[in-house]
Amino acid sequence: MVDSEPAETIALELRGIGKAYGRGANAKRAVDDVSLRVRCGEVYGFLGPNGAGKSTTIRMALSLIRPTAGEALIFGRHPTEKGALARVGSLVDGGTFYGFLSGRDNLRVLARTQGGDGARIDEVLERVELDRDAKRKVKGYSTGMKQRLGVAAALLDNPDLVILDEPANGLDAAGIQDMRALIRGLAAEGKAVFLSSHLLHEVEQICDRVAVVHKGKLLREATVGELLDVGDALRIEAEPGDAALAALGGRWPAQRTETGLTVQASRADTPEIVRQLAAANVDIFAIGPDGHSLEDIFLTMTRDSDA
Amino acid sequence: MLDAVYAEALKLRRHRATWLMVWIYPIVVALILIGVLLYGAVAPAGEAGTTATAEQWINNTLIFWEIPKSAPGRFLIAGFAALVFAGEYGWNTWKLIIPARARWQLIAAKWVVVVGFVLISLIVTDLIGLIGELLGSLQGEAIPAGVTIGALLEAHIRAIGFALAPILYTVAFAGLFGVLTQSILATVILSIALVIIEGLLPLLAVLGHNYMPGISTPLIEVLPLYHVANVMAWAKGQGMTLALGPDAAIGFSFGASLAILSAWIAAAAAATQLRFARQDLN
Repeated sequence: MVDSEPAETIALELRGIGKAYGRGANAKRAVDDVSLRVRCGEVYGFLGPNGAGKSTTIRMALSLIRPTAGEALIFGRHPTEKGALARVGSLVDGGTFYGFLSGRDNLRVLARTQGGDGARIDEVLERVELDRDAKRKVKGYSTGMKQRLGVAAALLDNPDLVILDEPANGLDAAGIQDMRALIRGLAAEGKAVFLSSHLLHEVEQICDRVAVVHKGKLLREATVGELLDVGDALRIEAEPGDAALAALGGRWPAQRTETGLTVQASRADTPEIVRQLAAANVDIFAIGPDGHSLEDIFLTMTRDSDA
Repeated sequence: MLDAVYAEALKLRRHRATWLMVWIYPIVVALILIGVLLYGAVAPAGEAGTTATAEQWINNTLIFWEIPKSAPGRFLIAGFAALVFAGEYGWNTWKLIIPARARWQLIAAKWVVVVGFVLISLIVTDLIGLIGELLGSLQGEAIPAGVTIGALLEAHIRAIGFALAPILYTVAFAGLFGVLTQSILATVILSIALVIIEGLLPLLAVLGHNYMPGISTPLIEVLPLYHVANVMAWAKGQGMTLALGPDAAIGFSFGASLAILSAWIAAAAAATQLRFARQDLN
């Protein structure tokens, strides 16, 4: 973190924020000393298993829950300050709405509560493709439709910071793809997007930076690239394995895995390795960087944390 | 702040519970009026009833302002207030609106809407009643001499003023119960219990004076139960003297009871705001 960073570029900052329920020795720490910064123009993933403290952290940022330690700052201001949350749009709990009102009336209520006139209602409904169902009562909406209405509500006041709690919940494959494009589009417009998820694949695809939380603690904060980077190694699927090991062993340390070989070599070594294997009459089926998935890394981190 | 009130009104104006607990009065009175007028138009003319004085006639037109003073009327007001204050917890919608507006304004908007809707409903009902009297006079029931628009207006404004005390009291405590219990049902039960205890006050006062004379009298004097009843009694022209036993009674002036009741309403409102301001919404 760079302290000299202009405040205006930091949309959300959490400073040692924590929430404990109960007091004394019996206190349960739902969130413990979490610090992070979300900048304008980036998608920041808040990753953790169910019960990790993601939603509690988001609720503290939105002033729904009072932190028992630390603070949240929205564009440098405390969320309880007048107008501090005016630049924030949020989706919490998959979109909570008045079931007895239509989708459009829900947005009208929200727009009025925000002090606006609802001029953007049609635009946001169209953006989440709910314009045709806007007159229907929300109690008749599917989970995915409520989720999309939640996104519409989050975007209603054209916020600079969008906070989305599990935005892909309840969406089908096409809906997830649309949501992904929408979120990347928001970042491209210069908005900061802070999203929580337990869907590692989603986070890997759309986030610029990621914070991994487990049992209320921040385990690591990094770019997705940094998290996935495990050094120079190539994964090779080749047969016969013994011949491949013999061909490479002298120059590049290699070891057998369940699916082939892991070779300590850089990407630039790939052509030479292929030549060596071909010269040794080894059949090559696949070769590429031995990257770990975010899932592997996440599971390793949370396992280490448990230990 | 006006936007918050508008949003709250937008949310509730056509809710089923609002129809059942608030808009029901003008609807029912209008239907009864239409029925009576139709009957009057087709029924044979009967004997003329006892002619009322101007004062009696005006007092008769104030009947709808008895609603907020009656137990059933206050049950409905409490029910509506319970829906408005505790509904957001049941619907899980505080999360939608809290980031959009200061918490104190959201609560203040709810008070304005509950009291405003009840007053609008009763004023419309009152007007329908007056129109009914006017139309009735065209069918033969003459308006007594001495009934002037000025006298009518003065009596009705006075009636609204007296009706405000039980309305505000009921809403203030239902709002507090709503924020404390976060449940519509619990709020309704507590609010109804409050009205029932108020009705049992004469009995409770006698029992209390008999068994705990040192405690019960100061309690009655300080708690709002007697004072809300006393203010409503003063609306009819005479205060309420609460007999504690053969040798003891409590009787407060209108001003004193109104001041104590106002303090309780303000305290309940402040407690609601303080509790809500510090409440975690998971």
